[in-house]
Amino acid sequence: MLEIKNLKSRIGDSEILRGLSLSVNAGEVHAIMGPNGSGKSTLAQVVAGHEDYEVTGGSVTFKGQDLLQLEPEERARNGIFLGFQYPVEIPGVNNAYLLKAALNAKRKHQGIDEIDAFEFLKLAKEKMAMLGMDPKFLNRGVNEGFSGGEKKRNEILQMAMLEPELAILDETDSGLDIDALKAVAQGVNSLRGPDRAIILVTHYQRLLDYIEPDFVHVLSQGQIIKSGDKMLAHELEEKGYDWVREAANG
Amino acid sequence: MTRQSPEDLREIVGRLPTTRDEDWRYTDLSRARDITSRWLEAGAKTVAADIDEEIERITGSIDATWFVIANGELRLPGATSGISAERLDDVPAAANALAELNSALLVDGLRVRIDGAPDKPVGLLFIDGAADAATSQAHVEIEFAAGASGDVVEYHTSQGAQDHYANTIVAISVGDNANAAHLRIQSRDLRHVQTTHTTVNTGRDARFTSASFDLGGGLVRNDIVIGISNPGAEISFDGLYLAGEGQHIDNHTRVDHRVGPATSRQEYRGILNGRCRCVWNGKAIVHKGADGTDADQANHNLLLSEKAEIDAKPELEIYTDDVKCSHGTTVGQLDETSLFYLRTRGLDRQHAKQVLTHAFAAGLVSRVPIESAKSIVSELVKTRLREIIQSDEDFS
Repeated sequence: MLEIKNLKSRIGDSEILRGLSLSVNAGEVHAIMGPNGSGKSTLAQVVAGHEDYEVTGGSVTFKGQDLLQLEPEERARNGIFLGFQYPVEIPGVNNAYLLKAALNAKRKHQGIDEIDAFEFLKLAKEKMAMLGMDPKFLNRGVNEGFSGGEKKRNEILQMAMLEPELAILDETDSGLDIDALKAVAQGVNSLRGPDRAIILVTHYQRLLDYIEPDFVHVLSQGQIIKSGDKMLAHELEEKGYDWVREAANG
Repeated sequence: MTRQSPEDLREIVGRLPTTRDEDWRYTDLSRARDITSRWLEAGAKTVAADIDEEIERITGSIDATWFVIANGELRLPGATSGISAERLDDVPAAANALAELNSALLVDGLRVRIDGAPDKPVGLLFIDGAADAATSQAHVEIEFAAGASGDVVEYHTSQGAQDHYANTIVAISVGDNANAAHLRIQSRDLRHVQTTHTTVNTGRDARFTSASFDLGGGLVRNDIVIGISNPGAEISFDGLYLAGEGQHIDNHTRVDHRVGPATSRQEYRGILNGRCRCVWNGKAIVHKGADGTDADQANHNLLLSEKAEIDAKPELEIYTDDVKCSHGTTVGQLDETSLFYLRTRGLDRQHAKQVLTHAFAAGLVSRVPIESAKSIVSELVKTRLREIIQSDEDFS
């Protein structure tokens, strides 16, 4: 589904991704772990299409298509979702409006009619119930005055509504209490299926207790230096990142 | 209809403000002078364009007791409950050349008095549309009696696309304990020039809440001068200006706190795209002895083009100690992080831009103090934003 080959990227003068390769197939859940500054968030932003990051080498294909040629909105309509580490507050834009506009942008791309108001409300309320969100959040400004946990739930709500084929969740677990973490995990797990893939970008192993990954990768200095199964995450938790770095450097 | 000789009129036109006057530095009235001179030259006759349909459309869109001033001529409504109205014959002495021009060329003045709590807003439709270039005057006095509670909607618009200069004076007095809600919508053609001078005077414990929307007009200058001479006044006024290619919109506000306690707050917001210029000059004067004054002014601008220009100037003059005053002015572009966020949700760049632009204006629309007019204001703002940003998406 997603093929990243020898990807190099920089922001301004600093090179962040230095030849990163990753292959994600439908049905898989990948966890990308690594210390601060290793390039985890950059990877997420580059795949989503942030213009501040310049791709200086390598390739990214999604469902066989060159992803780097597409605008961020085209990537979204093609089935990629980025859950932001720091969801943006947009006062004055209604949460329900954004959900509906996002859903309709995707439906239009797929040649499906716009969702009708009743169907939309039913769907939104159903997903909100699953995430333990008060339906009142629909009529609030997007993330406006939301707590950290509420913002993350709101990201997962958007994801649950859009049902992307590839979801990249950037530090979705940061700043969450245990109840919010469980709700978020439930939202993510409900999306798991043979046609979808999920990339969890995380600093800690904690989230992986609730969302079990098929693969765990360690990112350091812009490259994947070790890959394994979920046991790798436990090992990292125990021994820290230095252990992998030393092993990788031989 | 004119009470003065053509020479006298030309003399007044010659004294209209120029950019050499400090208060008019940014706004050049040459076009108003030119239109008026041409009109005087041609015999000062105005042949009305076909405007009745437009009048029907607007008066039908907001439920109000409508007074229509078409090319300066007054049409009184059939029934007026809770409102008394009369033609105005005794216009006060003019304080400047614009006021002199107004009284010299005024055809029909209007005085409206609101008593108790009328069930409908008072509507004032100022519509101009003539077969040739023309000038028109309007002079309206609105009095809210003591204890009255009412709404006033001013709608300034045009029909056709001839050069036109409209010079308007509105004087509002809000009696003791009265509660006045005021809405002003201006959607003139780009070939229209308008100068509006609005005064508001408040009684003891009076409330005045206003929202103003400048959506059109080629050259627009609004002066609002609010005088607080009795304690307990609560003043709140908002203004939104949307300027596209070729527009010039100037808002000059002045609040005189002569006594305290009293509060005044104003928030003006502007969205500018293309080659255009807007001005906001907000003056608050807290006079000696006006203790317990709370004055706040804010002006925020969104510039969507490098060719757009804004001159924003807050001015606070404080001559007493026991006051709370604040002001804030911002000029900025759309937030790139928010744009990217919306695009990752599948909204294309243009759509995301509109959504954010509309959000910038939405707060002022939601504060429109006249509930029955809110939806029409919302529609007008959206329509004008679509024109300015050049798109046909629905964005809220």
